[in-house]
Amino acid sequence: MGLIMNKESKIYKLLPLILVFVGVPLLLWALGEFPKRSVFKELLSLIIILTFSLLLGQFFLTRTNKILVKQIKMSSVLKIHKFIGYVFIIIIMAHPFFIILPKFFDNTKTPFEAFTILLTSFNSLGIVLGMVAYMIMLIILITSFFRFKLHLQYRTWRKVHGYLAMLFIITATSHVINIGRYNSTSFSIYYLIVVASGIFYLLRIYLFKSTKKVIKND
Amino acid sequence: MTESKRKNSISRRSFIALAGGAAGAAAVASLGLHLDWETNNPKVDIDALGLDTFKTEVLVIGSGMAGLFAAVKAHDAGAKVLMVSKGRLGSSGLTPFAKGIFAYDPAKETLSIDEFVAAVSRSALGTNNPVYTRQMAEHSLARVNELKEWGFFDSTLYNKSFSKPIEERNIPIQERVTITHLVKENNKLVGAAGFSIDKEKVIIYEAKSIILCTGSGGFKPNGFPICDLTHDGTVMAYNIGAKVTGKEWNDGHPGKAKNAAACYDGWGDMFEQKPGTTGIEVHHDLGVDMNYVAYTNGSPLKMGPPGSGEKTEVSGGPFVPEEFSRQNSKPPDNGDRKPPKGGHGDGAPPGMGGSIVGGSSAGMAIHKSEGLVPINDQCESNIPGLYAAGDALGSYMSGGIYTQIGSSLSGSAVQGGVAGEAAANYCKNVEISHISTSKIEEIQEEILAPLKREAGYSPAWVTQTLQGIVIPNFVLYIKKENMLKAALAYVEELRDHHMPMLRAANMHELRLAHETANMIVSAEMKLKASLMRKESRCSHYRLDYPEMDPENWEAWINIFKGDDGTMQFEKQPFNSWSA
Amino acid sequence: MSIVSINGCIGCEECIKSCPTDVIRLNRDTKKAEILYPEDCQICHLCRMYCPVDAITISPEKSIPVIVSWG
Repeated sequence: MGLIMNKESKIYKLLPLILVFVGVPLLLWALGEFPKRSVFKELLSLIIILTFSLLLGQFFLTRTNKILVKQIKMSSVLKIHKFIGYVFIIIIMAHPFFIILPKFFDNTKTPFEAFTILLTSFNSLGIVLGMVAYMIMLIILITSFFRFKLHLQYRTWRKVHGYLAMLFIITATSHVINIGRYNSTSFSIYYLIVVASGIFYLLRIYLFKSTKKVIKND
Repeated sequence: MTESKRKNSISRRSFIALAGGAAGAAAVASLGLHLDWETNNPKVDIDALGLDTFKTEVLVIGSGMAGLFAAVKAHDAGAKVLMVSKGRLGSSGLTPFAKGIFAYDPAKETLSIDEFVAAVSRSALGTNNPVYTRQMAEHSLARVNELKEWGFFDSTLYNKSFSKPIEERNIPIQERVTITHLVKENNKLVGAAGFSIDKEKVIIYEAKSIILCTGSGGFKPNGFPICDLTHDGTVMAYNIGAKVTGKEWNDGHPGKAKNAAACYDGWGDMFEQKPGTTGIEVHHDLGVDMNYVAYTNGSPLKMGPPGSGEKTEVSGGPFVPEEFSRQNSKPPDNGDRKPPKGGHGDGAPPGMGGSIVGGSSAGMAIHKSEGLVPINDQCESNIPGLYAAGDALGSYMSGGIYTQIGSSLSGSAVQGGVAGEAAANYCKNVEISHISTSKIEEIQEEILAPLKREAGYSPAWVTQTLQGIVIPNFVLYIKKENMLKAALAYVEELRDHHMPMLRAANMHELRLAHETANMIVSAEMKLKASLMRKESRCSHYRLDYPEMDPENWEAWINIFKGDDGTMQFEKQPFNSWSA
Repeated sequence: MSIVSINGCIGCEECIKSCPTDVIRLNRDTKKAEILYPEDCQICHLCRMYCPVDAITISPEKSIPVIVSWG
């Protein structure tokens, strides 16, 4: 629980990340011209928006983020990474249900009917992308949880985890841009920048890992 | 999003549209062609439009409450049924918005059916047809119980519960198909024709019998969800020689002055409620009393919550029988659209107090008073094989005034069932006829004509012009001879010169073009019937004949097409069947 | 403005089918519902109520086209 003990100093050091992955999406949401809905529905949406951006932030809560690792210990970074990973993947796993949650409170379609329609709209690219991303996410979750039972070498496991994460973030971001209720140009640009730089950092480590000098010579 | 932001974004968009439009117009003009608003450039390849033909025994047109039971009962009586709808099963016409359904439950009611029918007749001042009033009461509970079984009362959306019996019986249904023609050949009803807006096809239906469940209609008014109802059934049937009735009556639903076009908002959250049943409650509702107050005193007309005692005193006006007059200047409530929960239909219209405006349901008569003239209690018209049910049948179940709350919806269910069975029985002794190729070509030509016109008038503009002519309070509701004649002159101009020149650029507009034509014919019927009825009774009010005239007007008005193609009128005494 | 926007459409076509006045159509490229004829919207909210994912926003205001001498 070291995470909690040194909370304040760590939060201070995490501030840039918090700004980028909580502040910016909040700002884009507030400034965007989205139709306002009831507080309950907006709250559900906000939770999902922030969950997704925090998952994007996971790319920068790893060894690849040299600056952060220098400021706080790698073990702490890993703890935060794990915490966000487990908690927010579970939230995002629930997000298809969030969407039909309001159907519990009106007299229109039953939540089950709405959900059935949602899951069978295969002609929608966004839905298909979402389902693919969902599957990858499940694999990431399971392989992370049973990491030590897999008996993989650390390097191999890290590669598997990294590539799966990359695959996930590409399909998930396409899903969000295609079908998200809050898709706007500014949100799309934000996601694309974050994803591109995340993937860039990841690939740099993986592709050039053995040649540390290349990085040093930079 | 704040209001100002939304407005900004719209103005930006419309600016782009304007700029684009101007550039386009300039480009067209420079080529020496028609200007954009003159030329019709159909986006549909007219020559490539396909033609489909379907055969059935009973063709049910319309998929509201009446259509549902017509299809189900015709099937159960052994007929091969096909249902076709301009919209979607349970989601078109007035049905989706009707939340109260009357059920006569002998175990719960203190009045006998005889007493109930007598009460309706007293309130309706003789204008009702007691045979249909009784039929509705007798069958209502059975229909309501069937609906219950299908899950009708479990959701505010009716598509699912309506689909249940239709799917169980494998009754084919074609949605988003606009029927424009009933087809009669060699003096025999042989089918119907129309077009699909999605498949971009003309569709021919060969049928032994047809049940019109096409609802009533209006002038696409603002504030009442009937913009898809344009008296299509009535006008199609009139065109092949059916007698129609009830055009002088008015439904006097008011709307809210603020955002008058917003049907949903005008009804509070009623559209989102589950339906419920109503018991006996006979009134004298939905007439034009408020229109008279507004005509005499002017706007704004305020309506407070119940008991606020904001009674507006006016002398004269429509007569309400003492027994049925609502105390404290109760305005006509929302009748059968009454929310089953909360409030008791008392006081202000749904959507609470505040200023109200008239004409929200302009062009619609009292439920069940306008439509095809039945020749018996089987919903049969004067054309063998042609039936109508619900608001498409001028059954006078309620009379020229709305009497029993919730009876409109149950009346549609009951009549649908009766018509379905009758049509199925009719089919047993009839051979199916084919529609000749020449007739098909002729109809196809008529259906697609608006798409082929190089220039003409847009349906939206003609509709708007028609609304401007007929919707004013001093034309449609508070009637007098010279105004009716003046409006008629305008409507006849639309009929003679604009109706033949309606143009359409796509299938959406093609539907609007046919709807607009039907509204013009209906407007002519309405004005002429109103001129003819030189008395005031129920929801028909003549400023120049403010009294009831029992000597001359214990009669309904039937309208039919004469041999020369002109509109003919006849009287049919109350309590008699049409010859 | 009647029907204003559709956000987060999953292309199930429920709104298209349930609109009594044919205001909404499916965009063949994006496979999403789009508001094609808002001027015919009667503000009855059926589309919104039939939508399984609550994607549709409707305003009670309606911009009625200006009256002109011909059109």
